[in-house]
Amino acid sequence: MIKLTIDGINLEVEAGKTILEAASAAHIKIPTLCYEEGLTIYGGCRLCVVEVEGERLLQPACATEAKEGMVVKTNTPQVREVRKTLFELIVASHDISCQLNCLTCSKNGNCELREAAEIIGISEMRLLPIDKGYGEDWSSYSIVREPNKCITCGRCIRKCEETQGIGIFTMANRGPATIVTTYGDKGMGNVECTNCGQCILSCPTGALHEVYHYEKVWEVLNDPKKHVVVQTAPAVRVAISEPFGGDPGTIATGQLVSALRRLGFDRVFDTNFTADLTIVEEGTELIKRITKGGALPLLTSCSPGWIKFIEHFYPELLDNVSTCKSPQQMFGALAKSYYAEKNEISREDLVVVSVMPCTAKKFEAQRPEMAGDVDYVLTTRELAQMIKTAGIDMEKLEEGEYDQLMGTSSGAADIFGATGGVMEAALRTAYELITGQELGMLDFKEVRGLTGIKEAEIEIGDLKVKAAVAHGLGNVRHLMERIKAGEEFHFIELMACPGGCLGGGGQPSPTNQHVREKRMKGLYNIDSLKELRKSHQNPYITKVYEEYLGEPGSHKAHQLLHTEYTARGV
Amino acid sequence: MEYASFLERMHTVQDTYGYIPENEIDKIAKEFNIPRAKVYGTIRFYSMFYTEPTGKYIIRVCDSLSCHINQSKEIVQIIKDYLGVEHGQTTADKKFTLEIVECLGYCGEGPVMMVNEHVYTRVSGNMVLDILKNCV
Repeated sequence: MIKLTIDGINLEVEAGKTILEAASAAHIKIPTLCYEEGLTIYGGCRLCVVEVEGERLLQPACATEAKEGMVVKTNTPQVREVRKTLFELIVASHDISCQLNCLTCSKNGNCELREAAEIIGISEMRLLPIDKGYGEDWSSYSIVREPNKCITCGRCIRKCEETQGIGIFTMANRGPATIVTTYGDKGMGNVECTNCGQCILSCPTGALHEVYHYEKVWEVLNDPKKHVVVQTAPAVRVAISEPFGGDPGTIATGQLVSALRRLGFDRVFDTNFTADLTIVEEGTELIKRITKGGALPLLTSCSPGWIKFIEHFYPELLDNVSTCKSPQQMFGALAKSYYAEKNEISREDLVVVSVMPCTAKKFEAQRPEMAGDVDYVLTTRELAQMIKTAGIDMEKLEEGEYDQLMGTSSGAADIFGATGGVMEAALRTAYELITGQELGMLDFKEVRGLTGIKEAEIEIGDLKVKAAVAHGLGNVRHLMERIKAGEEFHFIELMACPGGCLGGGGQPSPTNQHVREKRMKGLYNIDSLKELRKSHQNPYITKVYEEYLGEPGSHKAHQLLHTEYTARGV
Repeated sequence: MEYASFLERMHTVQDTYGYIPENEIDKIAKEFNIPRAKVYGTIRFYSMFYTEPTGKYIIRVCDSLSCHINQSKEIVQIIKDYLGVEHGQTTADKKFTLEIVECLGYCGEGPVMMVNEHVYTRVSGNMVLDILKNCV
């Protein structure tokens, strides 16, 4: 342990901690922009400068290790003055000059630049912002880049490379001409981007945001000829209250349903229903591959970020990926066949909207093989925006119930939103389908939690199932390398985002480790409180097979619920 | 591959082809196990790496402070008029590429220009035209 003094407070911290971390432990807030927990230190913005006794120059707190006997001052006239000047210089390179930019910005309400200004106490701007005149990047179906709003902090670059193990971004040029760009300036839609959206969560300004669909959704909601149904992903219900001041992890399923009904959706359904369906189909596929032969390990297919990742980086393993569509697309396919036929609604008049914690779902929905089953994908953030626009007080809403037919789900579906959840849900079902016996203990604790790669060996009858779970594409890559090196598994769950969908790129800001933990707790709470906790026991799943699909893995199920993949390479 | 030899590897490719083609970027990225965006970013950072083919002769004229005071702008204009290209462009016959660059390290002897590896100091308009005419 190391003893030091910050602003007169005596502290003890572990060796190797930075001044910034020490200050944070003492509840002293130092402004930062380029710093992000979990990423390497960049030290580029310099807003965190502090005075260290005996040092001639101010030191960046994020990049300076705490040393024994150090005396640090974070709030002196010099520090305040330098921070102000630095901030003005940073903002001068950020396009806030024209078109009332802050008012129309994606980060309106949670801009870190604005927060930094608030902390530093900016009262004047001596420099005129420079309009750099860069074009926007609209090449992606999921994510838009507005380089004019970029302050070149490099967080997106580091997030993509370090956490996600990809690295589609780079800095180009030098000095004031420095710009963040992609390989060959090709744009995010034309490189190996997985659309995971983690860069959006990292961006302190509005330089990155999702491709909005909410204007289109308003349009169809206001069109009396359209019958608009909506589906909500598991992870949305534990995050949707955050933009309204609620605690992360607050279970707001009922309020979410009521809000959607108030917005004018004709039916409010649950992606959880098709999550249960996914488990039955994928469980059947797993059992078939283990008992009758087929590519093993079976790799899950729910996360569209992960799917695009494997298409780019491990196309040779695409046969291992489950052919099951993701729950979003299974829902779309069933809504436009089963539901439409039952209610005699023509395909042209039926609009399927989904609310997802995800930006990659926007890309997934427009894949040609998905045939436009899902028309529009809203992120959790976009839905929050719509609820605000409609003047709905989220906190005061009565709890609503999902509509029947595709609105009932088991607890196994709720935990889809957390890393390890799909695995756990599949194990609950696979156990009972294989052994024919009832599973006593439903919690598979070894696949829960935020450890990057989790492994478990589960005995199902005479069969020992070797399972692994990875979340965050950096961890996914490590696991894929192990598979390529010959390690054997039966079943692997992979999620593109750290924490699984609950940490998705479409979730509200901030999404950090602390927030992820709370949302995860919320999801497992929903599961433990539900009567129905196994996907195959969902009565509406039984019904859809009886009335429409036949049996799991049937020809019709294959036509509607299964898909194929594209080897993309890099 | 040792990361330390990264720049050297880039120079070899640059010298071989006169630029760093896309397939070479992919190869280097694989060799060094880094994202191809990073290789691209490195090319864009250093002014002597190119992503497009350049002319046989790369004309670099310094326009940093002391050369600027010594009328480097006029030199640049003479070259532009003679070659009919702007900064960063290559002539149609692929013979010349013109670049206006930062300090070349001869601040006491401006204006300074380089033709490929060769440095010319205290250049005048006539000298420049002679130098260009001698490039065959």
